[in-house]
Amino acid sequence: MVGPGRQERAWIRGAQAGSASDLEALFREHWPRAHRAAFLVVQDAAAAEDIAQEAFLAAVRNLDRFDRRRPFGPWLHRIVVNRSIDWARARRLRREAGEVETAEGESDTGDLGNPFSEGIAAGLASLRPEQRAVIVLRYLLEYSPGEIADLLDLPRGTVNSRLRRGLDRLEDILDRERR
Amino acid sequence: MSRETELLRALQRIQAPDELEGLRRAWPLVSAAFESREPVAWPRRNQWPLLAAAAGVVILAAALTSPGRALVGSVRDAVTSETVKPKPALTSLPARGVLLVNSKNGPWRVQFDGSKRRLGPWWEGSWSPQAKYVVVTRGHELAAIDPNEKGAIRWSLDRSGTVRSARWSREAGDRVAYLNGHQLRVVAGDGTADGPLRQLVATTPPAWRPGGDRELAFSTVDGRIELVETDSTKTRWRTDPGEIPTQLVWSEDGQRLLVLAERSLHVLDAEGHRLWATGLSVGPSGVAFVRKSHRFVMIRFSPATGRSDLVLLQAERDPGEERFLYSAPGDFGTLAISPNGHWLLVGWVNADQWLFLRLTASKVVAVSGIARKFGAPPRVGPLSKAFPPSVSWCCPASP
Repeated sequence: MVGPGRQERAWIRGAQAGSASDLEALFREHWPRAHRAAFLVVQDAAAAEDIAQEAFLAAVRNLDRFDRRRPFGPWLHRIVVNRSIDWARARRLRREAGEVETAEGESDTGDLGNPFSEGIAAGLASLRPEQRAVIVLRYLLEYSPGEIADLLDLPRGTVNSRLRRGLDRLEDILDRERR
Repeated sequence: MSRETELLRALQRIQAPDELEGLRRAWPLVSAAFESREPVAWPRRNQWPLLAAAAGVVILAAALTSPGRALVGSVRDAVTSETVKPKPALTSLPARGVLLVNSKNGPWRVQFDGSKRRLGPWWEGSWSPQAKYVVVTRGHELAAIDPNEKGAIRWSLDRSGTVRSARWSREAGDRVAYLNGHQLRVVAGDGTADGPLRQLVATTPPAWRPGGDRELAFSTVDGRIELVETDSTKTRWRTDPGEIPTQLVWSEDGQRLLVLAERSLHVLDAEGHRLWATGLSVGPSGVAFVRKSHRFVMIRFSPATGRSDLVLLQAERDPGEERFLYSAPGDFGTLAISPNGHWLLVGWVNADQWLFLRLTASKVVAVSGIARKFGAPPRVGPLSKAFPPSVSWCCPASP
């Protein structure tokens, strides 16, 4: 990830000074990727929306403390991805405890657009939430493994092994679809 | 093309459902949260690291001193008290008063000694002042019944629309407001002088302003909150359109109004000015004022953790630091404050329990099997359908 652009720094400065239009610009810029990242990790449309929304609310609450020399994206994505992992883990535990009646296939996976994406979505669903998170951070949000390690408070080796295993599994799926 | 590039393109082609709709839904909440915050001046922002360090020292000192240990202990007790062993029976209430429980098969009265009686097959009920009567609704019917006379009907009215959300005024109990479809009507406490007050109102239960001159707050179908003098029918004030609320709750002195909706909470003063607002995640929620104060308890559900929290906030221009009271997995369904103000009743739906939390200490009393106690047949549908949706503890400020 590159550092914040001049435009983003201006929006943050404006929002910190009380400009709602600057906050809205920042929100519109970052919502799609934050929402999509949450969706790919939790695989549930309603939960993804709530998680992205909560992350923005947390960002607003802490806006005054934010160092505007730093990029906004990683700050937001750290919240989104960690909450998504927590949510997905909690859902898995509830299923194991028999508290959630809906089956895996009933979750709202939305319009996945094209055959490749359907395969990728299915492949992601077969990974553990922690693996999905590193794949999403690496290939959707385009962070380096070192940056992912920082965002998730993980050793870099763990990030690399999760990436490698997740990628191998997804590659199998892509290969099957090519045939 | 490398496998990584291929994967990157495939991932970036996936569209989350309702991405734009989600953006449209979320922005008003984020914007409301932004407007309600108090901007910090630049120099103060620079003091943050120093303040954080100072706070750390204070917390460490507090944890090492005995009052500090007591505080830490009380917070820990509150967090871990979800493992409290529930009682199988409601043998008594922890504080004086009488409960009105709206269950799926009608309202029930619960006395201090735990004895209870179903008041009839009504849809819902609400106390008159001092709990002498209960105003009840069912279908097209509105009635006042006597809970001490096995629910004997004192008077009743039939209306053309579906009648619901009847509320008795607290000042001498001489007015009852209710909804007839989308019409707001008011009738005298003896069942006479029934008449329309406003058209095109939302289904939100109206709320009489304590201490007001027969003033009633309600929501219009476009989410405006209006305060009307019911005798003169004059509008005292009206807010801009917004999200339709689920609950309107006045503080006991009538100086603060909480407007709770599915996705937001607005705090208004007696003149309808917004003091602050906050966005909420979709999920169970509820609010109740602490007696004789502008502090209130709110249920806040977190979809990320699947837990509900109870937090204490302040209905002042500065909401203050929120104080955490209790947390448990699943949904909290109802809130009621005891008449002496010391106890909070919380419905914990997933556990089928009522929790009685002592507000001034970290004490929790739990009672299990609530749905069955109020007439739900065993194992029919999900628990959330059988659990009593509302309770009021007579005679609090807001029913």
